Amino acid sequence: MHSRVRRLRRLSQIAFLTGFLVLFGFAGRSLTLHSLGDGAATGWPLPADLFLRADPLLALSAMLSLRQILLPLLWYALPAVVLALLLGRVFCGWVCPMGAAIDLCERIGRIRGRRPGQAPPWRRVKFYVLVALVVTMLLPAAHRSPREPSLSQSLGLSAAYLVDPIALLTRTLTLSGVAPAQWTITFARDVNLIWTVAPLVEKRPWLGAVLERIGAALEWFVRPDSPPYFRLGLVSLAIFLVIVALGSFARRFWCRNLCPLGALLGLLGKLSPLRLRVSDKCTRCLRCVNECKMGAILEDPKQYRGPECIWCYTCLAVCPEKAISVTALPAGSGRRDGLDLERRRVLEGMGIGLAAVLLPKVDWTAKRTQAGEKVLKLSSERLIRPPGALPEDAFVTACVRCGECMKVCSTNTLQPAFGEGGLEAVGTPVLVPRMGPCADSCVACGQACPTRAIQPFKLEEKQHLFLGTANVDRSKCIAWIYGRQCMVCDEACPYDAIYADVLNGLPRPVVDDRVCVGCGECEFRCPVEPRGAIRVSASGDKRHLSRAQQRALREAASPRAQTESGTGTYIVPVPTEQDMIDKAPYP
Amino acid sequence: MSRNEMTRREFLIRALAAGAGAYAATQAGLLSLLNGVAEAASSSRPTIVVASKGDIPGRVRAAVEAMGGMAKFVKRGAAVVIKPNMGWLRKPETGANTNPEVVAELVRLCRACGARAVTVVDNPVDGPASRVAARSGIQEAAEKAGAKVICGPPPAMYERNQIKRGKVLKETDTLRDILRADVFINVPVAKVHGSTKATAGLKNLMGTVLDRGAWHQSDSLDQCIADYATQVRPHLIVLDATRVLLTNGPKGPGQTKDLNLIAAGTDPLAMDAYAVQLLGMRPEDIGHLKRARELGVGEMDLSRVNIKRV
Repeated sequence: MHSRVRRLRRLSQIAFLTGFLVLFGFAGRSLTLHSLGDGAATGWPLPADLFLRADPLLALSAMLSLRQILLPLLWYALPAVVLALLLGRVFCGWVCPMGAAIDLCERIGRIRGRRPGQAPPWRRVKFYVLVALVVTMLLPAAHRSPREPSLSQSLGLSAAYLVDPIALLTRTLTLSGVAPAQWTITFARDVNLIWTVAPLVEKRPWLGAVLERIGAALEWFVRPDSPPYFRLGLVSLAIFLVIVALGSFARRFWCRNLCPLGALLGLLGKLSPLRLRVSDKCTRCLRCVNECKMGAILEDPKQYRGPECIWCYTCLAVCPEKAISVTALPAGSGRRDGLDLERRRVLEGMGIGLAAVLLPKVDWTAKRTQAGEKVLKLSSERLIRPPGALPEDAFVTACVRCGECMKVCSTNTLQPAFGEGGLEAVGTPVLVPRMGPCADSCVACGQACPTRAIQPFKLEEKQHLFLGTANVDRSKCIAWIYGRQCMVCDEACPYDAIYADVLNGLPRPVVDDRVCVGCGECEFRCPVEPRGAIRVSASGDKRHLSRAQQRALREAASPRAQTESGTGTYIVPVPTEQDMIDKAPYP
Repeated sequence: MSRNEMTRREFLIRALAAGAGAYAATQAGLLSLLNGVAEAASSSRPTIVVASKGDIPGRVRAAVEAMGGMAKFVKRGAAVVIKPNMGWLRKPETGANTNPEVVAELVRLCRACGARAVTVVDNPVDGPASRVAARSGIQEAAEKAGAKVICGPPPAMYERNQIKRGKVLKETDTLRDILRADVFINVPVAKVHGSTKATAGLKNLMGTVLDRGAWHQSDSLDQCIADYATQVRPHLIVLDATRVLLTNGPKGPGQTKDLNLIAAGTDPLAMDAYAVQLLGMRPEDIGHLKRARELGVGEMDLSRVNIKRV
């Protein structure tokens, strides 16, 4: 019976992990297609970031940081909270995709913790982490944005997204999972599978159709045209692998010792009525102690730590005497709910939380003007933000570095910043035109941002959301220095922001900075290797203006035609109706 | 030896010649392309047909009929490749790509003649290719008419092609499907162009090569376009002048004009000359057309062309 429950648990883990991956795939695909108007929304009744919304730690951090009860978020997070109140850390053992991933890797890699048995004091660290997080949620952030004060209530919002397991897993999948998955599928489809499967399929044509369908479905998820590649992909993969590798010290090391979500659920679980009871049939063989995934059972095998137990049912299944059972009565149960935290360490955790708030002040990019605006003079020219982004100081505070925008970006241009904006901006999205342009037909990032650091925008607004300005490097452009016919930048520009300066019949590109929004199509297509002769620079970023002001600027810019160099005269007027009748002898 | 008998020498020479001829004939694709050259060289006054009555599919049919009917070009069992302008991530109403109705009607006509396979292909400038194909409307329209649509073919589908008479462009990688096709139909749209001033059929052929960047980086893009036109000749050119783009070509957005004309012909240069004068320009002002004339691609002077109205 107990082993059946164990199997049920594994099925539950597989189901939730699969659900997580499927929703991950939908998030990337449907949101992008929907925004491009190429395909209808999937009609899937669940939001694609369901797991992030249902995460109680993130809900808590959002509400504490913003000092308001966010009802929709509350509804989503409620099931996990109720589950914890009733059954303790059953989420960790049955639902959490990170837990499932760790279990899976440990099974595949045959990682067995070197120290089975009772958890050493390391298990307390996750509570200290939780304490530090809560402190950051309660304290105001080091930067208060004068523009959007409600957003900059605390650092806690971003800190939680950095260490929460669901956010971590999402980020790892986004940055380092999709591209290799796509490559594998394409490779299998194009090369290997054809050779090995072809003889099988010849005899069974129905098999061919089935494989075709499976392949198409898989490809639908992982974007065959443009598998997304990311900077810092190696870093995020390394972090995940370290988490898994820690399992060689103790099984589920992350869950036992580091996970703040687990700590939170463990705390809630203290109120849980269900508990394990060990009968007198126990022979003290200590098998349960060795097999317990969380090292929750104490030296006296009749006692265990409640806040650690994830209800994996392993002890119940392996006990040779079948001495363990589940009961709702406190009497006779060996559940110990005490956290046993050291007061000194708790204070240290609080101190770290406090210090974390000050950490951004250590880097020079923390400099603010007298008006409280972030000083952009120190940022790189390449700090080009997504369209609809808030002004810089509000942006770095509101952005939680979840990576959703990068995941849904249809051209793979959004990348995590590394040096462009200093320490404050690491992990926030920037446009990298040579990776991909910001397509004039896409609004995905504005739809995906959970904290509205990127405000939603419409397609028509893109032409007046100024992110930067393209600049022709006349010392590199082959038209300017070699007199070659190119103008590919002009071809690529969707906003008609490049006009021609003509010399002896040869057009050379010039950027009209009143029109250019910095989308990067020109830089992306420039044939001059490696970095292009026309490059987008952050100068011309007009996020400090309102949308109405930006639109007015754009409308005031009247179109230009090509000019003869130096004379400023327009030499190719638009043919009028009469022109076309007169000059077209063969209409 | 009587006069009807062959000497050994004669026999050897004739046998070798026959063998060489047979080998050349097995290069079926090349042969049909060369046929185009022969035809162009031999005809004295090229003909352009302009259809301006009826709905768009009707105009396409009328133009092709006036050129002798599709059956003149497409024999039963032929492999047909249609090359529209499917290069830009733009909707049909912007005039940046070929009108999907035009492409669909041509596909239907080819299939009605018993073509074995009709492929609609382009190497787009914008990306990703699947979205370009979808947004242009050509994928849906062509597939419904029974064609296979390939937008953004993988590198493996290209084959090295020597441009024998090329002055600047000596070799390039051309789509194998086009080199081997029985019938190659070029379906450009008439537009202005920021670099070459105007673009029609000759420039449209840039979408059949793998590395366009090399042409831009060469000594003369115009010369490359003209060089390529000497090597790769479509059997039929159908010009889409239903909606022409007058400003900010080739991608737009710009001012368009609904001329609602469909033109068809077999002389690539004459077709282009006709297209650019619709836009209010003179063929001799367009660099690649002038150079194409120098290379004998066709007739640029429209006064020497039969223009039939239907």
